[in-house]
Amino acid sequence: MKKIIKTKFADNNGQPLRLPLWVGIGLAMLLAAAIVALGLMSVSIMERRWEAQRPILVASEIGQWESDNAKWGENYPRQYERYLMTQITDTQTKFGGSVPRDYLDDDPMQVILFAGMGFSKDYLQGRGHYYALEDVTHTKRLATPFQAATCWTCKSSDVPRVMHEMGIKEFYASNFYDLKDQMTHAIGCLDCHDPATMKLRISRPGLKEAFTAQGKDIAQATHQEMRSLVCAQCHVEYYFAKEPKNYLTLPWHNGMGVEGMIAYFDRIDFADYTHPISKTPVIKAQHPDYELYSKGIHAYRNVSCADCHMPYRSEGGVKFTDHHIQSPLLNISNSCAVCHRWSEDEIRTRVESIQTTVANALLKAEEAIVQAHFDIAAAMQANVADEELAPLRKLLRHAQFRWDYISASNGRGFHAPQEAMRILGDSVNQAQQVRVMAARLLAKAGITDAPAYPDISTRQKAFDVNQAFIGNTPIRLIK
Amino acid sequence: MIDTQSNAAYYSDMVGWILHLLGLPGVGRFWQVAIYGLVGVAAGLALLLVRISNAASYLSNAPETCMNCHVMTDAYASWQRGSHGRVTVCNDCHVPHDNILSKSAFKAMDGARHSTIFMLRKEPQVMHLSSGAVPVIQQNCVRCHSDQFQMIRLSDSTQQTCWTCHQNIHGDVHGLSASPRELRPALPQAGIDLKKSGE
Repeated sequence: MKKIIKTKFADNNGQPLRLPLWVGIGLAMLLAAAIVALGLMSVSIMERRWEAQRPILVASEIGQWESDNAKWGENYPRQYERYLMTQITDTQTKFGGSVPRDYLDDDPMQVILFAGMGFSKDYLQGRGHYYALEDVTHTKRLATPFQAATCWTCKSSDVPRVMHEMGIKEFYASNFYDLKDQMTHAIGCLDCHDPATMKLRISRPGLKEAFTAQGKDIAQATHQEMRSLVCAQCHVEYYFAKEPKNYLTLPWHNGMGVEGMIAYFDRIDFADYTHPISKTPVIKAQHPDYELYSKGIHAYRNVSCADCHMPYRSEGGVKFTDHHIQSPLLNISNSCAVCHRWSEDEIRTRVESIQTTVANALLKAEEAIVQAHFDIAAAMQANVADEELAPLRKLLRHAQFRWDYISASNGRGFHAPQEAMRILGDSVNQAQQVRVMAARLLAKAGITDAPAYPDISTRQKAFDVNQAFIGNTPIRLIK
Repeated sequence: MIDTQSNAAYYSDMVGWILHLLGLPGVGRFWQVAIYGLVGVAAGLALLLVRISNAASYLSNAPETCMNCHVMTDAYASWQRGSHGRVTVCNDCHVPHDNILSKSAFKAMDGARHSTIFMLRKEPQVMHLSSGAVPVIQQNCVRCHSDQFQMIRLSDSTQQTCWTCHQNIHGDVHGLSASPRELRPALPQAGIDLKKSGE
């Protein structure tokens, strides 16, 4: 067998073997690179451990009335960064999302339902919290002479301070435009958090007072309940009381259900506006999100608003609540799928089918209510007396509030699907009862033909119909 | 035929050859010192890394090891409170057990992948089983539950896994919501503080 190396440490010419210089440099470079990699890895491990274990660093003290969310953001950058994402206005789900969809373009029947009030002129899907201040000053619904400062209540983090300085009653009784300069920052940190402890707290008097009115104490709420109640400061049904002037009040005195609210509104004889077509005293529903949710399966299982709308998020070693408040359908795997272990597609399909069912029932209710308004108007044109029409108007008022209770709620009924369908069923039934009663009254007056319902197929046509009735030149509905 | 004598000479020559090269002949004193200095630095860093990463713990079956990587904290918490929290540890289900080689290889592969993702800050918000993990876990279900006839039949199916139906292995609530801040277990000690021992 041939020896491979003839002479130790020497080449074939007997010269001692020497490495060229580039081998040395190359080796040094390789080692340097290895050191950098090892160092980066060590730093990464230490950094991640530090991230996970360090206490919250308070970089700057947050004042008692600090309304500037950026200031809070210095201490809580992750939460603030996600909060800023409520600026996004192009997310879209089947029925929601942050895109400012125009409900009146989509559904001209609502122009008739809100005839004579702001919602028949301007009804857009609300944008994120970030825009609360901007949007309230731009909406056509708030045109002068409507001037209640109460409208600021849910728009700005400056409200708690201004209320504290002025007094609650005085705040509500003020002129909207007089307080404009004091409202500098949109809904944010201070509205839900105690600046000293970061604990969730109720900053608006309306919800506290509503609890008191029901004989409950909101201070007894658990942390999990607070994860819904901070939202319920605004995402509820409310109205502006006449006495004290424009006092923001939640109609929960007879309970949070739709029947309790109607009983309360009837008792105090409250109406937001008188419908120009049928002269019905209508109650406009705000957004009874919390009330509807509380009738649903998720509330029954103690799932809070934040569990779905602000699920946890992880960044390296840190876990925190996602302050980008949005539709859970835009973040299914982190919200729904935490408990419902199906694929995202399956979950989305299921939710959308529930919402579509409710959306269709809403349209059916609208159709019946719109026709009922015209039926009463036809009876008026047949000179039926107001006393005879009073029970019809009362029933129609109830039917329309029931419809609006679901329509104005976010989530297309998903917060409590069965309750939503129950309420809409009652709504359609009541509206159809009105129509039967109107037909009888018309027959008594000698009119047996159906009224000639005007064309409301587009937003403009519906608006023109409204204008005709408002301008006392009503369209002739009977021959 | 093997020439044992020349073989021995050959290997002794090889050793000499390597020893000769280790002296970096002809490279010049500066680069010789530089290279050996860097070797020292690299070795030191590697030792440090072994300590702060709890490297030794990866050789064990202790479930706390998986929490070294903070993203697994919720999986740990939900395992602890799930149906299997008292009878199994992570490795019982998540690595193969047919032989020590495939177990170690699987651990090494998964570990390398996880640490790379974690270090690049590319970890997803919601973790799903990788395609490689599914058959391993399914086999491990059968490994313990093989006396249950239906179970074994099911395990042949490519469509169904045991956990398609038995969803509470990691508790009722999955993912990041599995452990509220108050209930999150602490990270295992690492040897960053030199006075404390690593685990």
